[in-house]
Amino acid sequence: MIRWLVWFLASSGAAIACEATGQRMSTETQNAPAVHVAVDEIPLAQPFSILLTVCGETAVSEMRVDAVMPAHQHGMNYLPVVTAIGDDVFRIDDMLFHMPGKWELQVDVEYNGQTVSYTYDLALK
Amino acid sequence: MKLWVSVAFVALTSVVRAEVLLSEDEIQQTLSFGPWPPPIQPDPSNRGSNDPRAIALGAALFDDPVLSIDGALACASCHNPEQAFTTLDPRAFGRVLLDRNTPSLRNLAGLRWYGWGGKSDNLWAASLHPIVEEQEMAHSEESLKRAISESPYVSDFEDIFGDIESQNPELVLVKIAKALSAYLETLVTERTQFDDFRDALERSDLAEAANYPEAAQRGLQLFLGRGNCAFCHNGPRFSNNEFHDAGVPYFLSETEVDEGRFGGLNFLLSSPYTLDGDWNDDPDKQGAWAVRNVRRSHSDFGNFRTPSLRGVAETDPYMHDGSLNDLDAVVRHYSEIDTERLHTNGDAVLSELKLTEQEIADLVAFLETLSSATRP
Repeated sequence: MIRWLVWFLASSGAAIACEATGQRMSTETQNAPAVHVAVDEIPLAQPFSILLTVCGETAVSEMRVDAVMPAHQHGMNYLPVVTAIGDDVFRIDDMLFHMPGKWELQVDVEYNGQTVSYTYDLALK
Repeated sequence: MKLWVSVAFVALTSVVRAEVLLSEDEIQQTLSFGPWPPPIQPDPSNRGSNDPRAIALGAALFDDPVLSIDGALACASCHNPEQAFTTLDPRAFGRVLLDRNTPSLRNLAGLRWYGWGGKSDNLWAASLHPIVEEQEMAHSEESLKRAISESPYVSDFEDIFGDIESQNPELVLVKIAKALSAYLETLVTERTQFDDFRDALERSDLAEAANYPEAAQRGLQLFLGRGNCAFCHNGPRFSNNEFHDAGVPYFLSETEVDEGRFGGLNFLLSSPYTLDGDWNDDPDKQGAWAVRNVRRSHSDFGNFRTPSLRGVAETDPYMHDGSLNDLDAVVRHYSEIDTERLHTNGDAVLSELKLTEQEIADLVAFLETLSSATRP
């Protein structure tokens, strides 16, 4: 699917080791900075927000966030909004899961021109 | 003696429990379809929302042909209050035969999208468009202002919205639409047999819950499970208020198609009457995130908004084009669905269910319990 892009300029210097909250996202890239996702209860078919924390020593220059429902071959109907709220913490607003079931959160983080992809499974009843 | 009482109690409990067929997981899912009715929340985008004067004016205008250019049609002509605010016609007949089935107007407060194609993100815009659509009420802004100025409603209008002569015609149009919207917000379906069942489950009152017919319970189990219905028909309104391909043909003729959500988005994104526009009364523009962030996709083509199932037994015929006459036909449509008609890049949710006759009857029995009445 066509993935969308949320643009943002890091206003700070390098992200550093941090006190992450939430669950660590998976990545196939070795030695990649850790990304943690914190999410409260997800309301079905209603907008919600998540927090992403990047733990590393390299500045984040860009972040793309998406989510798909692998079993149904579709994504979200809305573009989430990414806002940097600290040196290494990002709030993602206007997420909306319009069906119950398994969703895969997909986050691409660009560090120094190199993109690292992360995923995390979320189940919605 | 004590032992016999205990045994009798256990046996009685088992009998009662056996009449509630749902598993614990199914009960938890069932609770998500309520409570009903939902709490009343005024629409911040409409200053007339929850204002008794605006509601009364909207109700009067709804029934009056003054809202059509030639006095030939009222809103109630197609949205007949005696017929659950729709009609028995498969497709609406305004000045001409329109492309879609007339949706009922109940339970509309607070939705994210309105209309089969979602061309409005608020109820006053959804009320405004038919007034000026050429194929429906066909007013211009100027003719509407003139008609209201010359009607018995002018004093009520001015009591609520101020002197009409000093207002430009577009402003009058928006205010009339907001009065209509204030009225429509008050139209809510009654509680149903399903709601009694759902609330009894929430109270863990299995004896009361067991009064819900077993056929409806079996239908509910199919609805939640193998039928995959709850993927789209979820929440207290039984709708996720999003857009899907239900396998219903969207060709209007050999050369024309109903674009569905694709056309709805084109309309929405060029409309001045969205929650992100200047006519929104809410300075915070709550809810405008949806029109700002909605995604466009080729798979929107031929997708239509998931209709609510509350009151569904009163609103036949069904689907966006009114092509299915009754609930039995709808269930059979999904049971025998032609997956070749589904988008190749759309939802992979629907498949041929191959329901038995008993299962079809059970699903219909369940759907009928979502209404407090059947078709008058």
